[in-house]
Amino acid sequence: MNNGDILMGVNLSKKYSNLEVVKDVSLNVKEGEFVSLVGKSGCGKTTLLSLLSGLEKPTKGQVTLNSKDITGATEEELALFRREYVGFIFQSFNLIPTLSAWENVALPLFPIKMSNDQRRKRAIELLEQMEMGPRIEHLPAALSGGEKQRVAIARALANHPKIVFADEPTGNLDSATGDAIMAILSELHKKQGMTMLMVTHEPELAKTADRVIRMQDGEVMK
Amino acid sequence: MNYIYIWKEIRHHRHRTLVNVLGIAVGIALFVSINAVSDAYQKAISLPFKNIGADIVVQRAEKRSLDAAQAPASMRGIRLPFSNQILSSQDMEKLKTISGIDAMATSLLLWEFEKGGFKTIMGVDLTAPSLGPIKVKDWLAQGRFPAKTGEAVLEKHFAKFHKVKLKDTIMIGGHSFNVVGLLEIKEGSQVASANIYLPLADAQSLLAGTTGNINTVYLHMKNPAQIDEIKRQISKTLSGITVTSSDSFLELMGGMSQISSQFSLVVSLVALAGAFFLIIKTMIGNLVERSREIGILKAVGWTNSDVQKQLMGETFLQSVMGGVAGIAAGYLISYLLGYLSIPVSTPWELNLTPAFAKDAATAVKTIRLPVSFSAGLMAAALVLSLFAGGLASYFMGRRMSKMKPVDILRRL
Repeated sequence: MNNGDILMGVNLSKKYSNLEVVKDVSLNVKEGEFVSLVGKSGCGKTTLLSLLSGLEKPTKGQVTLNSKDITGATEEELALFRREYVGFIFQSFNLIPTLSAWENVALPLFPIKMSNDQRRKRAIELLEQMEMGPRIEHLPAALSGGEKQRVAIARALANHPKIVFADEPTGNLDSATGDAIMAILSELHKKQGMTMLMVTHEPELAKTADRVIRMQDGEVMK
Repeated sequence: MNYIYIWKEIRHHRHRTLVNVLGIAVGIALFVSINAVSDAYQKAISLPFKNIGADIVVQRAEKRSLDAAQAPASMRGIRLPFSNQILSSQDMEKLKTISGIDAMATSLLLWEFEKGGFKTIMGVDLTAPSLGPIKVKDWLAQGRFPAKTGEAVLEKHFAKFHKVKLKDTIMIGGHSFNVVGLLEIKEGSQVASANIYLPLADAQSLLAGTTGNINTVYLHMKNPAQIDEIKRQISKTLSGITVTSSDSFLELMGGMSQISSQFSLVVSLVALAGAFFLIIKTMIGNLVERSREIGILKAVGWTNSDVQKQLMGETFLQSVMGGVAGIAAGYLISYLLGYLSIPVSTPWELNLTPAFAKDAATAVKTIRLPVSFSAGLMAAALVLSLFAGGLASYFMGRRMSKMKPVDILRRL
């Protein structure tokens, strides 16, 4: 691992039956860097993000995150690893419909030993940062798409992650709302130095990042 | 485990919760009501012996073969019932040698035949006040129980039929007796249900030419579990003797009561197994429905054990709700079934009235099903409902641990 790299994938491949979705990809992300992975739908960028974030195991290759090789980790170890170091933002928000905005934000903190008041305090702090203060008790069904994604961003930050993985964070939003979400992500990176790896199929959005990695047919374009 | 999350899931998914709770409740209600009714059958059968405080009754029947439906043409006056011939002093001595007997009481049952009818007369042992037919003194409706010779207590309906009142006199075997009390026979006490009760000595004096005779012995065991063993010992020691216990009613009722005790276990287990199957199937079905949620939880760092604890919490709460609802429903069903009356047939040797008498049908008494609800049954039902929940949690946990977050999230 080069000095300053928080994430490194080496010769990563992923095969589903005979279909190789990710082909011998190597990449690294430095601490505090905002990297975007851009490419057409089906080029393997979401699979690569899953491999790098510990959601999925590669068929071949090695992933090192925060100086720890997670390639051979068990499902339980990966879950604990994600809890401690990783935040996720999904295209379809993935909020729990029965929980209020603050409870959704506190979701990664539920298995951690801390009082409910502490969880609530942390969740409200993040929601206020996302300008969602007046909506903390609302259920996801009562929130707009943009508001849902703000809650999802707050949730990704709840556990003080080392890196945030964002998979098409504006994919389900109109362009104005998408821009607002991108502004939030950009601000998180610039003001708080948050390391981010974002997957998108829109080259314009990708330009927001410090570095753009292009993918095609499961391979990184040189 | 997060209690807010558990409560919100249960409250938000009312339909799902209701199906799970109802599944458990139906199984538990069936288990509770079937067992309560089965217990009630057993109690109904044991009632005739329980009401006289005896475990075993010993008698000696007449040796000659008898057509019980036909009265011998020459029968008049006081005589011994066919099923209750005199037990000799040697019989009594032999009985006393048998170990395991806690208390013993005796009585002399007589029939008096007159023109157009008969009376059943029970001479009771006043020295053993808590065993045998003397127990009827607890059911006095008026007056008192005989304290000296020449006094009698009448069964209330017999007295009414014969227009005899308290303080009247009644003729028995040519002797005059003062009626000092009227009593009402308690339900399920046919073993002690005579028309007239006299002190044992008075009854013995009615039987011409003999003294100090008895024809029924009531035994109370030190350990009721030894009843069968002691019955065997008595039959071995005293030849030609009739030894009866609650089981004699059970044998006579045969089918229903015997089936009831075995059937209840089988049916309640089948009902529970059916309920368990439904609960597990429904809950695993819920798991598939909730796979998205589980995927999210795992993606944000919940381990399998964290997710399982959460699901267990929900299942536990639903099991408690289902268990309590099932117990309440079972109690209600059992309570309603308690209004049913069941026929309890009296074995020939324990029937105090002559078999050929017009009211021989009284040998079949109807008893209101004594349904009661024990704390043990309630606890067992609650434990079973929790076991059902635990079983469902186990299968859910196994299924859930195989779910990978990426597989679930990719499908979304």
